[in-house]
Amino acid sequence: MEDNKVRGYHDEFYPPFPSKATLFWRRNIFWQLIRFVVLNLKIMRIVVGGHT
Amino acid sequence: MISYYIFYDNKSFLLLILLILNTMAKIVVLGAGISGHTAATFLKKKLGKKHEVIVVSPSEYYQWIPSNIWVGVGKMNVKQVRFKLKPVYDRLSIQYLQAKALAIHPEGDLEQANAFVTIQYTGTSRTGETQKVTYDYLVNATGPKLNFEATEGLGPKLFTHSVCSADHAVDTWEALKNGIDRMKNGEKLNFVIGTGHPAATCQGAAFEYALNVAHLMKELDLQDRANITWISNEYEIGDFGMGGAFVKRGGYITPTKVFSESIFAEYGIHWIKRAGVNKVEENLIHYENLDGEYKTIGFDFAMLIPAFAGAGMKAYDKSGADITSQLFAPSGFMKVDADYSAKPYEEWGTDDWPSTYQNPVYKNIFAPGIAFAPPHQISKPMKSPNGTLITPAPPRTGMPSGVMGKVVALNIVDMIKHRETELKHRASMGKMGAACVVSAGYSFFKGNAATMTVFPIVPDWKKYPQWGREISYTVGEAGLAGHWIKLLLHYMFIYKAKARPFWWLIPE
Repeated sequence: MEDNKVRGYHDEFYPPFPSKATLFWRRNIFWQLIRFVVLNLKIMRIVVGGHT
Repeated sequence: MISYYIFYDNKSFLLLILLILNTMAKIVVLGAGISGHTAATFLKKKLGKKHEVIVVSPSEYYQWIPSNIWVGVGKMNVKQVRFKLKPVYDRLSIQYLQAKALAIHPEGDLEQANAFVTIQYTGTSRTGETQKVTYDYLVNATGPKLNFEATEGLGPKLFTHSVCSADHAVDTWEALKNGIDRMKNGEKLNFVIGTGHPAATCQGAAFEYALNVAHLMKELDLQDRANITWISNEYEIGDFGMGGAFVKRGGYITPTKVFSESIFAEYGIHWIKRAGVNKVEENLIHYENLDGEYKTIGFDFAMLIPAFAGAGMKAYDKSGADITSQLFAPSGFMKVDADYSAKPYEEWGTDDWPSTYQNPVYKNIFAPGIAFAPPHQISKPMKSPNGTLITPAPPRTGMPSGVMGKVVALNIVDMIKHRETELKHRASMGKMGAACVVSAGYSFFKGNAATMTVFPIVPDWKKYPQWGREISYTVGEAGLAGHWIKLLLHYMFIYKAKARPFWWLIPE
């Protein structure tokens, strides 16, 4: 919808918006495979330390 | 089993000594959701055939609720997110009763000396029939009652949709498909997604659904005809009922407000925050905001999460006197080892939160998962000038519920096998972290999800005075890897719930 366009003085104007490079790396298979491993390790750290 | 309970009152501290004269214990688990099912399977694994584990659940299915989001946008079918419980329980030698619990009698009654639960059968040839099921230990893991009635006009039977159960998600997808057909014919539609009550929780699920709908619209090239609005009772977007969080991102320590608003802006989703929905009519939502203004927003399709309440069980003592208020908070959730004393927000601390989920009066009753009564919100309570509390209730779903279920099971095992009276296994939301993978579009190569972790769930401002949580444990990242993790979790936890070989190696 036209209303979806980001304009000043709307809430949508103020948050950071991903650049083309950010969007590229978000879908880059090789980089995301690395992130997949890293994020899983970080989640495991939370899980293991979560209860006694 | 014959159990002797010796009680003495010393500064309101009740000591239980369990003497086991017989080797057989009977544990009844109410509910077969993430918490109840985890508790039941671990109890059986640890106790073996010597002891009896009974699961009472009104639904014949186990459902992996986090994936209902994908059912609601047609990316998964209902069979992929749920399975029948009975074959699994038969294989594990767990007795399964398809029934709902009506009342707890922790001291028995004049006819039955042992503690028991009154259940009513559902969905079988015995529908409507009631029965007394005795227990030595009771795990109340009923989860929440979806309290659509708390908001006039809310719910799948009325004007809005839900993804809180697999059946709801199926109906929601049917309605969404209808909307898609209308848009393909040139109509422009308004979608409103968020929370449907001033004190609703589970913002994360609604957040995921909003992003998935936006992703679907883009996939179908209908984004120009879909006006998607997020409506929420959060003070700021990204509060998620846990007072928001800070994550390391892009060289900064960033609030989840910025992280969440950024995703909304990217997906073209508008937002209304600090809004307590109080009434829904056909195509019109009424809400009050924290400024005390009463406003409306029109919609063609709305998915709003209802308030949660306890399952609505009653409790009676031996003489038949109603002791519901002793076991349950007014919300219907069960009282456990939390500090329920009323105190201002500034005095709240992580010590207020329970760690064993044991009822303080009846030490053989536990309430893990959503069934326990939280001591208070996590987010700061906010009231409108009209006196309406517009603040999310604390979230207790997913990962924490599984951990609580396991901890309860391990403590009961210790009480039975080792005659332990002091509970060693603990899992407080003030000391455990949580990982939340927010799906933002289903596609193996073009999907997206935001992975967020926090530690602990309840901010500990004494230990972490600057940010309330351990920043080095936090993650806030969007990308395809998050979608793969969400998919992995789906298949991994369904595998675990089906109790396939080595299921217990998969952590909660």
